[in-house]
Amino acid sequence: MAKTPDDPRLDLLQGTLDMLILRTLQWGPEHGHGIGQAIRTQSDDLLRVETGSLYPALHRLVKRGWLNAEWGVSEANQRAKYYRLTAAGKAQLLREQDRWSRLVHAIGRIMNPARADSGK
Amino acid sequence: MRPDERDLDEEIRGHLAINIKERIDRGEDPASARRAALMEFGYMPAVRDEMRRVWYSRWYDHVAALARDIRFAVRSLARAKALTVTVVVTLALGIGANAAIFSVVRSVLLRPLVNREADRLIYIRQGALGLAIQNLTFSVPEINDFKSRATTIAAFGDFSTVSFTLIGFGREPRLVRAGVVNGSFFEVMGLRPILGRLLGPADDGPGASGAAVLTHRFWKDVLNSDPTVIGQTIRLGSTPATVVGVLEPSVPYPTETEIMSNMVTSPHHLGATMNTDRKHRMTDLFGRLAPGATVDAARAELSGLHASMLQEHPDAYSPQARIRLQVRTLQEQIASPARTILLVLMAAAAVVFIIACSNVANLILARSVRREAELAVRAALGAGRGALRRTLLAESLVLCAAGAGVGLFLAGPLVRVAGSYAARFSIRALESTVDAGVLWLGAGLALMAAVLLAYIPRLPSSDRSSGLGLTGGGVRITRGTNRRLRIFATTQIACAFVLLAAAGMLVTTLTALQTANTGYDLRHVLAIDLPDRLGPGLRDTSRGTVLQEVARRIGELPGVEGVAMGESVPWRDRSTTKLQFIAEGYQPANGEESPTGRLRYVSPQYFAVLGVPLLAGRDFTDHDRTSGEHVAIVNQSVAQRLFPNGDALNRRLTPTNLGTNLGSPETSRIVGIVADVDDDNVVQEPSMIVYYPLGHGGSRLFVRASEDPRMLIPSVSRTIREISADQAVERPATLEDIRTEVLAPERLNAFVFSALGGIALLIAVVGVAGVLAFSVSARTREFGVRLAVGSTPQDLRAGVLRDGVRTAAIGIAAGAAGGYVLARIAGGFFDYVQLPGALPLIVAAIVLIGAAIGASLVPAARASRVDVLQALRSE
Repeated sequence: MAKTPDDPRLDLLQGTLDMLILRTLQWGPEHGHGIGQAIRTQSDDLLRVETGSLYPALHRLVKRGWLNAEWGVSEANQRAKYYRLTAAGKAQLLREQDRWSRLVHAIGRIMNPARADSGK
Repeated sequence: MRPDERDLDEEIRGHLAINIKERIDRGEDPASARRAALMEFGYMPAVRDEMRRVWYSRWYDHVAALARDIRFAVRSLARAKALTVTVVVTLALGIGANAAIFSVVRSVLLRPLVNREADRLIYIRQGALGLAIQNLTFSVPEINDFKSRATTIAAFGDFSTVSFTLIGFGREPRLVRAGVVNGSFFEVMGLRPILGRLLGPADDGPGASGAAVLTHRFWKDVLNSDPTVIGQTIRLGSTPATVVGVLEPSVPYPTETEIMSNMVTSPHHLGATMNTDRKHRMTDLFGRLAPGATVDAARAELSGLHASMLQEHPDAYSPQARIRLQVRTLQEQIASPARTILLVLMAAAAVVFIIACSNVANLILARSVRREAELAVRAALGAGRGALRRTLLAESLVLCAAGAGVGLFLAGPLVRVAGSYAARFSIRALESTVDAGVLWLGAGLALMAAVLLAYIPRLPSSDRSSGLGLTGGGVRITRGTNRRLRIFATTQIACAFVLLAAAGMLVTTLTALQTANTGYDLRHVLAIDLPDRLGPGLRDTSRGTVLQEVARRIGELPGVEGVAMGESVPWRDRSTTKLQFIAEGYQPANGEESPTGRLRYVSPQYFAVLGVPLLAGRDFTDHDRTSGEHVAIVNQSVAQRLFPNGDALNRRLTPTNLGTNLGSPETSRIVGIVADVDDDNVVQEPSMIVYYPLGHGGSRLFVRASEDPRMLIPSVSRTIREISADQAVERPATLEDIRTEVLAPERLNAFVFSALGGIALLIAVVGVAGVLAFSVSARTREFGVRLAVGSTPQDLRAGVLRDGVRTAAIGIAAGAAGGYVLARIAGGFFDYVQLPGALPLIVAAIVLIGAAIGASLVPAARASRVDVLQALRSE
């Protein structure tokens, strides 16, 4: 689906998808579709994750040991693969969160020097 | 933990199902919900590939695709049975022949010996270039010189080849090939016993008791691996010996032996002649390099020592004999005689492989032309060139794998045949087996062929001008494809021609050898070995008396026309003894060496029994042995070359002795002249032979029979045993049998090349027939048109036949040119490469042309039967 220039949806920043997935799974196991929906609703529909990015990302995180995957049955009685945060995944989430807030802070200072100073 | 293909599919299906359900729950109708979910998902195979790629590398995709293609190829080949069978059989022949020959080459040339640190085990050889003697072996004084002076050699091993009459193990007396070895021999060779012990330093010297070690082959084949033989006492000739051990399986060198024993078992080895006569050479010498020494260092040092030996003892080394030392590893020494023949065989097998590949290439090319429509459809549907190539590759992989499988199955029996063939040149060939290395070679060859074959056919391109397209159902043959088909057919003919010409040459040689006039009466002479481990100069009179009685009794048997004795059977016992002599009344030209000839000891009647005519003078008589006058008989070559005036009789010959272990004859008067015969070569070469009267009985008995001499074998053996129960009676055969036996290597060469040539011919015929059949079926329309405008079926038939003959003719010309170039190149490396005469070439050409005509007949018949209306309507 080609986006028109005035589409309000945002492109994900490089490398942030993994963090969002980890964050979403903080509340408990979820299947791929559920994760996508959660990101979408929590961002007020501004962030939409393409399945072509979501599923490879999920598999990548499983491979790195940050997620566990197991088959389960959804509320709609449909077999689906559920992803769960591992201990290593939790630690990684903390690291990413920390990195992210420092990044936001640093970029904020550059883009908005006055506000940043006043915040101090 | 790794998700498989099904896992990925199921996850995607689950995702879609949940999405659709949510949408339906929100109130969308099922059909549009489904559509929307699919739209939202995106291109499913791409997502799945992305997911898979997290876990598997990019190779996986290609392999998975290839696997799909292979399954497809198997199905589609199963429908083309004739093609599949032809291709598989052709490849199997090519791969099987190569695998078999490779395995022999490897076991002979490449595989290491079992000997410990075989690269430090050297063989020392003394050759006399001037006498054309490759291996003179060594005398004990020579070996002692080396032992006392050499520093690069840690220890020397002595081995002298002898024959013993073995009495023991509860069997009949039997002549065994044996080696008398010194105490350090087995240590130097680096061999271990599998039972008991080997001989050591304690077994050396005259005071030790007799001890013998059995070789593994003898123990296994003759004694049925009986472990109780250890400790048994046997008799070797007259000396008792205890069996102390069995040697591990190893390459027998210098000869295949059955027993190895210590010095005391051979009284001759303890005698003065053996130990003091520098010219009494009968020992092979091995050495183990000292720590830190290299083969080159040892060669330099030993050659230096040898040179000073030559200076210190000029009497033992005639300058004309040009005695030289050679030092190399045992491995090299063993492999070298077989190297050339094996390389030639490998080249021949490679040629067969080329023929097989080009034939298969033809068949595949023809098939791919038939498939062009299918490939064009797939290309139009979006299959890339890679995918199309992969389809072809899958098919050729399946074919080649099947071919390799059958080929390796064939390799087993082929290896046995090739192994026993090559064993004539190197004993190690018998170790050849099919194993992992050969399997890898087969797989490699098959893979090579498969890749080659996949890249031969042209792919349909999107370019419309190529004329390939979706239109038109019939087979179209493009000029390029046609040319390739013809090139391959021509290649096959060319290669087949080279092999056939080589085979023809070998067969011609063999026929010439078999029909050459030898000068002997082949049919009526029986030759029998009466082995005796002592040379003629060392026998005592008792044996002479016994043998005289033997000869007298055999002479009285019915059907016997004459009995004689000698020391060597023509062709079988090739004697290296050379006699150099001066002849009374013959002055060698300035710088010319004294005449050299062969020395033979024969009994009276020898010439009559063997059918060699006496040209002048008289035969030996019993009186010659006792009269005190030394007499000789010479052959025609001596008489004509040295006495051109025809006055050879009663002249005197004086030997100027060379290094021999025979007592040197005295100056003798020529009493007779006999016709030329050549007992070294089956085809006579002019050579001078001097015959002396045999002393006390010989070791070879000749019986002349009126009927088939083989009928006499039982009665003759019985007679000998009655007189001397301990006398071994060996290898009775007619001279004709012996010639056949001696020619076995030539016959095998001819056989192997004929077999390879036959395979090549067969494959080439299939190839030519295939190309023509294909070209006929592709030209159906053209033939129809030509018939319609007035050609007769005969014209068409003749055209196809001409086509076949032309292909063959071009192939023959190419083969002749290529073969000539190859022979010239090979001639640069080997001395004895020769070009075949005209006859084999013409025969090979006629055979090929005939085969091409035969192969063209069926397609030609089909061309002449083309139905005009059908042909014109078909497109």
